[in-house]
Amino acid sequence: MAIKTGRYGSVMYDPAGTTPVEVVSLNAWKASFKTDKEDVTCFGDTNKVYVPGMKDVSGTVAGFWNSDPAASGILFDAADADTPGKLKLVPNDSTAEAPFFWSGLAYLDAEIDCSMAAPKVSGEFMAAGPWTRAVGP
Amino acid sequence: MQNAVDSAQIEDALLAILLNDTILQSLCPDGVWWDSAGEANGQPARRFVIVSLLTHADEPVFGGRAIEDYTFLVKAVMLGASSVDIRAAAQRFDELLDDEQLDLPDYAFGAMFREQRVRYVEEDSENPAIRWLHRGGHYRVQVSLPHA
Repeated sequence: MAIKTGRYGSVMYDPAGTTPVEVVSLNAWKASFKTDKEDVTCFGDTNKVYVPGMKDVSGTVAGFWNSDPAASGILFDAADADTPGKLKLVPNDSTAEAPFFWSGLAYLDAEIDCSMAAPKVSGEFMAAGPWTRAVGP
Repeated sequence: MQNAVDSAQIEDALLAILLNDTILQSLCPDGVWWDSAGEANGQPARRFVIVSLLTHADEPVFGGRAIEDYTFLVKAVMLGASSVDIRAAAQRFDELLDDEQLDLPDYAFGAMFREQRVRYVEEDSENPAIRWLHRGGHYRVQVSLPHA
């Protein structure tokens, strides 16, 4: 166990929702697992008091546009899809240790930012089913 | 993870275009040099081309390098030349390099274009009466590494 680099992270997706494959040419992802907290502070409390509500799973993926239809096209196909796909987010997939990952069904949006530099793609995702954190292939 | 590629392919391809052009050979007969000119035929070079790497950046994606972005200085340097000749040399750089392609076996070529002009006169360090003319441009080269 050690602190690992994000250089060997990955974003994997399967529109059918079963077996995700890597979406190439991406270089960033971010996930949030923030649970709503309801303020239940009462008279007499010496500080604010909260109770947890429902966890929200959402985040972003980003990288470069790749002209291979099996690359950036996956994001834009997902953005057009009416049904969620399975998204798998891996912080580091480079060592002999089984990789740590989060996965679950998600809807994806996609954006492209084209300038004189390499066009960049990005997308936001939001959960469409239960998400899990696991270690393994 | 990708296999390592030889980034020197980029400058090799750029230099090959300049070295093999007969118009440039006549305008700048003392050769194409990397960073600084040496002797040409036993004499100090007086009409030549200089190529230098000004900036370079690698852009990573997960698993390795995805994009290489270069800026090269490409300029003609002439001693006691007419402005017609150095103007023609700078124009020739643009014809050869601006929005043209590099032949790169291990890369996916992206773009090559001029970002800014270079034009100035330099007094000789030993004899201020002698003036060196410099003219050319900064050329940007963008390439990517193919990912399966």
